[in-house]
Amino acid sequence: MQILAQLIVSGIAVGMIYGVIAFGYQLTFATSETLNFGQGEALMLGSLVGLTVVAVTGYWLMLPIVLAFGLVQGAVVERLGVRQAIKTKSESGWIMATIALGIIFKNMAENIWGRDALKFPSPLPEAPLSFMGVNVLPMELVIVVGALALMLAVEAFNRKSIYGKAVVATAADRDAAGLMGINTSVVITFSYALSSMTAAFAGVLVAPVTLTGASMGGVLGLKAFSVAIIGGLSSGMGVVVGGLILGITETLTGFYLSTGYKDVPGLVLLLLVLSLKPAGLFGRTAIKKV
Amino acid sequence: MRKLLALAGVAALVAFPFVFTSPYYLHLMVVVAIFSIVTLGLDIVFGYTGEVSLGHAALFGVGAYTAGVLAFQLDWGFWVALPLGVLVAAGFGAILALPALRVTGPYLAMVTLAFGTIVAILVNEMTFLTNGPLGISLTKPFFADLREQLPWLEMSRPRMRDVEYYYVVIACLLIVLVVISRLLGSRFGRAFEALRDSPIASDCMGVSVYRHKVLAFVLSAGFAGLAGVLFTYSEQYIAPNNFSFDLSIQFLLAVTMGGRKSRVGPMLGAAIVVFLPNLLADIALFRLVAGVIAGVAVVAGGVAAVRNPEQRLRAAVPVALCLAFFGFSLWLQQITDYKLTVFGLMILFVVYYLPDGIYGLLRQGLARLQRRGAKAVAPSSAWTAPPVLDANRPLLEVRGIVMQFGGLRALDTVDLTVMPGTVHGLIGPNGSGKSTMMNVLTGIYVPTAGEVRLEGASIAGWKSPEIAAAGIARTFQNVQLFGELSLLENILVGLNHSYRSGAAEVALALPRARREEAAARARAMGLLQFVGLDALADEEARNLPYGKQRLLEIARALALDPKLLLLDEPAAGLTAPDIVVLMEIIRKIREHGITQILIEHHMDVVMALCDEVSVLDFGQKIAEGKPAAVQANPKVIAAYLGGDHAEAADAEG
Repeated sequence: MQILAQLIVSGIAVGMIYGVIAFGYQLTFATSETLNFGQGEALMLGSLVGLTVVAVTGYWLMLPIVLAFGLVQGAVVERLGVRQAIKTKSESGWIMATIALGIIFKNMAENIWGRDALKFPSPLPEAPLSFMGVNVLPMELVIVVGALALMLAVEAFNRKSIYGKAVVATAADRDAAGLMGINTSVVITFSYALSSMTAAFAGVLVAPVTLTGASMGGVLGLKAFSVAIIGGLSSGMGVVVGGLILGITETLTGFYLSTGYKDVPGLVLLLLVLSLKPAGLFGRTAIKKV
Repeated sequence: MRKLLALAGVAALVAFPFVFTSPYYLHLMVVVAIFSIVTLGLDIVFGYTGEVSLGHAALFGVGAYTAGVLAFQLDWGFWVALPLGVLVAAGFGAILALPALRVTGPYLAMVTLAFGTIVAILVNEMTFLTNGPLGISLTKPFFADLREQLPWLEMSRPRMRDVEYYYVVIACLLIVLVVISRLLGSRFGRAFEALRDSPIASDCMGVSVYRHKVLAFVLSAGFAGLAGVLFTYSEQYIAPNNFSFDLSIQFLLAVTMGGRKSRVGPMLGAAIVVFLPNLLADIALFRLVAGVIAGVAVVAGGVAAVRNPEQRLRAAVPVALCLAFFGFSLWLQQITDYKLTVFGLMILFVVYYLPDGIYGLLRQGLARLQRRGAKAVAPSSAWTAPPVLDANRPLLEVRGIVMQFGGLRALDTVDLTVMPGTVHGLIGPNGSGKSTMMNVLTGIYVPTAGEVRLEGASIAGWKSPEIAAAGIARTFQNVQLFGELSLLENILVGLNHSYRSGAAEVALALPRARREEAAARARAMGLLQFVGLDALADEEARNLPYGKQRLLEIARALALDPKLLLLDEPAAGLTAPDIVVLMEIIRKIREHGITQILIEHHMDVVMALCDEVSVLDFGQKIAEGKPAAVQANPKVIAAYLGGDHAEAADAEG
């Protein structure tokens, strides 16, 4: 029983990370119906830039720098990979271009930071706290709180500020928003910037618990995609729940079955959800109009 | 001309082992041929149905591991593995396509990516079956020792074996080429393109999107599996990391860069992808190639700038990029660490500047040199025997139909009775539920309640392809043509129901398949003639002016040999002379015994053509009867002009 509780607690922390990255997918999908297939690489870059900066500034001061870096990186991805494809309505175009950018980023990171996994200094004590026999790393608490805080901050920005309303309007109807004088291509660039920012933030949250390195992105990006689909690409609640489902099933499979198989249930869940309820567990099904 | 080139290509492939005697190049050619089989198959899914598959490396791996496991566990050899590899991979393709029932686009890309990851994990973990990360070794088959019969070959035994294997692979490639060309030139290829351009119209033409998508995936996976088996025996060793996500990207890059929707393109792309690692291993060679590309770009850009001075700036960008790339190659001291960056840059460049691939570019150039004459098809009659119907029984009966969208009742207990042989008008203000009714009748929406009967048989809840097969055809308010298909091919999609031959018969080009194709083409030409578009038969549908697109839609719907034809605002956006033509067409369709429901806002058209008119307003039927009576009905006037007029009309009436 105690082991089960322990596994669930670890699963929650992992799941929140997936949730934050998945939230990034939602941001761009809402405005442009495109996604960054290199989202994992955005996370990896954020984490490695953080690693370089943290040596100079310490953990907490590093955060705003990494967030700013994420914003810029996302804007670059949109400009180079997505804009042209949106213009020509070429779906394979943006899928391949964002994959290509991901490959380039990963290769550059390998050349700058090397191919090995690196240790990221933890800002908090690494001794676990014990609650009724269940061990929790202080950093895991920061992950959960930080992830929720970031998602809430972005949501609040979208709902309260006039810029956020432009984002929501573009998400609701890009053409109509454009006719109302909203520069929708700027909004789309901005949504990519925000999306990479959340990924970079997730990167520096998760790095002290795991390790960091040029190859950390791919798997995380894919899992977050599972989460976004399981929860629904249109539901903020969905990514949190989806993340938790995936994180917990993973730690459970890893322990009870084999660590080699720990990625399988999430992917199978993804395929099942797509077969049975493609809008996701929390998504709304759109009515097709002819 | 094409045949000559193809023959020359085959001759070159046959002569290759004797021209280049180096085993290294022979092996590279084998790998090119194997990758070509994968990319040709991938093109079915990627080029034709327009879906991005990131899982083809896994399907390739399934084929490879089928061969590997059979050899490793059971000691079964090449000839058993070949068919089994195809079947097992095709089976996996079917599993992969099942979620495709509901999703498209990025979702489908992700499904394939997840599938690829699962396969990679399973291969790695199921050590008892696959030997896990250690991989499987086996030996290339030795088919026959021909050295005694053909002493002039002067080959050592290993070389004999390699050359024989080369010919086996080339034979497979040629068979694949023929089969794929036949399939894609047939109704199946047209169906794949149709479902890409307009899934809804495909379903309503009786071409089930789901079935054809699954078919495309299964075919594509089967070819990947075949290639996998050949790969295993060519390399004589396979391990899980042979079939990673990167390989899927390489396949996609190959198809895009070579040129989609062609046979030459994917093969060209496969050759580039295979030679790429060699190119990227040698800095001098890399610089040379980058230099040549830059030179070609400067020349091509110069030509483009002279020919089209206004587009100078646009043309200058790729040229500058090519030059910068050359500079980058000079700056690089060593290349192995930057392999993937170069690879990524290539993908970006192709996506931006070569969306139709190298072959697409060449084809454009060739098309300018030689205008391809349209292949003349002699038209046969547009009409088959008119449907035999009981004149006294309603053809279509709609009883108490309700269509609820959340809080909105788009149709509220509507009844509709359409007698055979009539033109039944359905009018009403915008948003009154006319198009919703069309969508309910053709199975796009499943009604919340109520009954729809066609010749007495209930069809409510049927899927669109079934309803199309039962005899209801339609046109669309916002035209839904298959844009990249020619006019003739658009009609041929509608004639899909007239074929009995299956994919295997088409692949073997059996007489029945060829006969059916010829008959369908003649009939399609007849239908084009009926709407006056036969002169444009080989034009792509998206290039037609709007009015003609609507006529083409009608001809396509007639190809279904419908009992009931639904016309959704056929006159919208048409010029006055076009409307006259349209009215004549509708009259002729009625003469041929086809019942029609006509949604239209042009009242003169409705009044002139319709035998009966039903009026909808806010989802309810407010009037019905002869056109003149309906026109005078105060409720109808009120619906169109607003409440005050109704009261005025009431007072007067």
